[in-house]
Amino acid sequence: MRNAMSNRRDDVILLSPGLLLLVLGFLVPAATILVLGVQDPEGGFTLGYLARFLGDPHYLAIAWRTIKLSLLITLICALAGFPLAYVMARAGARLRLWLIICITLPLMTSVVVRTFGWMVLLGRGGLVPDVLHSLGFVRRNFTLMHTETAIVVGMAQVLFPFMVLSILGVIMKIDWRIEEACRVMGCSLLQTVRRVVLPLSLPGVVAGSLLVFTLSCSYFVTPALLGGARLPVVAGSIYETATKTLDWPFAAAQSIVLLVGVMLLLIPYVRLSRRHHG
Amino acid sequence: MNARKLISALVCATSIALPMAAAYAQQQTLVVNSWGGAYEKLHRKLVFEPFEKANNVKIQVVTVYSADTLAQLRAQKSAPQYDVVHFSGGQEVVAAREGLLAPIKPEELKNAADLYPFAAAGMARGEGPAHLVTAMGLLYNEKKVPRAPTSWKDLWSKDYGDHLVLIDLSNSYGMLGFLMMNQVWGGSLDDTAPGLTKVRELLDRSVVISSTPEVQQNFAQNDAWIAPFSQDYGHIIRQGGQPVKFVPGSEGTPAIYFTANLVANRPNQELAKKLIDFELSPEVQAEFAREMRYSPTNRKTVLDAATAADVVTGDAVASLVRFDPVKLESIRLDLIEKWKKLIAR
Repeated sequence: MRNAMSNRRDDVILLSPGLLLLVLGFLVPAATILVLGVQDPEGGFTLGYLARFLGDPHYLAIAWRTIKLSLLITLICALAGFPLAYVMARAGARLRLWLIICITLPLMTSVVVRTFGWMVLLGRGGLVPDVLHSLGFVRRNFTLMHTETAIVVGMAQVLFPFMVLSILGVIMKIDWRIEEACRVMGCSLLQTVRRVVLPLSLPGVVAGSLLVFTLSCSYFVTPALLGGARLPVVAGSIYETATKTLDWPFAAAQSIVLLVGVMLLLIPYVRLSRRHHG
Repeated sequence: MNARKLISALVCATSIALPMAAAYAQQQTLVVNSWGGAYEKLHRKLVFEPFEKANNVKIQVVTVYSADTLAQLRAQKSAPQYDVVHFSGGQEVVAAREGLLAPIKPEELKNAADLYPFAAAGMARGEGPAHLVTAMGLLYNEKKVPRAPTSWKDLWSKDYGDHLVLIDLSNSYGMLGFLMMNQVWGGSLDDTAPGLTKVRELLDRSVVISSTPEVQQNFAQNDAWIAPFSQDYGHIIRQGGQPVKFVPGSEGTPAIYFTANLVANRPNQELAKKLIDFELSPEVQAEFAREMRYSPTNRKTVLDAATAADVVTGDAVASLVRFDPVKLESIRLDLIEKWKKLIAR
């Protein structure tokens, strides 16, 4: 009994710094901002700001673009990330180390710098439009800048490491003798991956997808630079509303929509994947 | 909202209190604001430093943008801390109405009689005189365009293909350019529909940008030919190596006015007026024009040929277009939202 008590006290002591940081650094400021979104100028409760967002086709279109692009980015990251993570997990330790360095290296440069790199590659006369033009696919002044394609390409590159590392961690823990057994029983490599590795590594894919999806919903630097003023996303719209037009209540209301929207999409996803795979 | 006010009050209290305490010596001190960056560097070199030497006075420069300066003046209403404040966004109109500024009579300033009428017009309403102006017109790449543009309506000419740059209205230059386009197509501050309708025609062949540096970037990398923007920034782009020229539109030239204002209820008003007068002098204005291509507001200012070719001067300065800052402030948020809805794909 004494032992259990002191254990609990130890737990509290260990927990408190992190908890304090969470409360002071996240919960309090986030709650303060969110409250602004449902408060009228006299301090009463109002749904007016939320209604302004939800009742306006312009803002609904922005929300739809955000969801659509985030889903696409998540899908691309998962499709490209899973094979890479598998190869990395099954490669020798040395090669794996180098691949991890390659994957994480971009994380060490600023997102803004990387995005400017894309601006050079995708803009008029940049490498990509230039190659497409010489192959005869596009006219001379073709540009990929300020398109949804540019946003997807730039964001997928920024968020790719999160997906790969999430999946890698899970695949590394799968006993490779299971795969051996599978091959012995007559499965081809692809069949092994599809019937054994993929189902077992699904928690990693789910975790990576959650990370990539939520991050891409809330990014605004990359969409603002690559997509431009004519392709607003929710996070960018919040930023503009808060800093340019200084309409904080409406910015807060948009934040509420973003938060609730992400949660509504994520909770069923997590539930579903948990039910199927423990 | 209250928290923000408190923070801004604290910030300005510390930023003022420290230098004030340090300078509480025998020498007289004037506290002024400037806007930071290259502009403030030049402001110090051409105005503050020579004035300090000539008058044995210490000038304390606080780097604060116009909108924040107005907020500070309001917060300090009972105990103002600035002697002279500089505005570029029309804040002097509001500040004068709220009694934050002390009116200056034209006869109190040596140079006031030489100002173009528009620059002194605000003085009757208790606002400070305009000491510099940057004009909005058309920037174009002289090597690429089939013909040089001459009017605002040329933006709609097919000659410039899809090489147009439009500036988002959240940017104050973008706002001014749009208001002028709106005006040439028959609109006004009360009716922005004509401008919005006409801009819709341009969207498919233009790039819409939101920050000032993107103008230069589009001329440098994105094959931009023409953009409605300001003469001083045209000079910066040209310095950066692009063959970009500035031309005022024939229908009129909207401008950003830089005003120097006397703060009410301060002890050193005589000296402060002398400083404002100095900023109006032809010599100071000629240097500002030469270094950064701002138009002078004193008609006696003499410009060298190279500078004169780049800036709006003479009679053109006298016929600048100005949109009512108070009216503009009242429609701004609504107009920006309409614009965002218009340009969103």
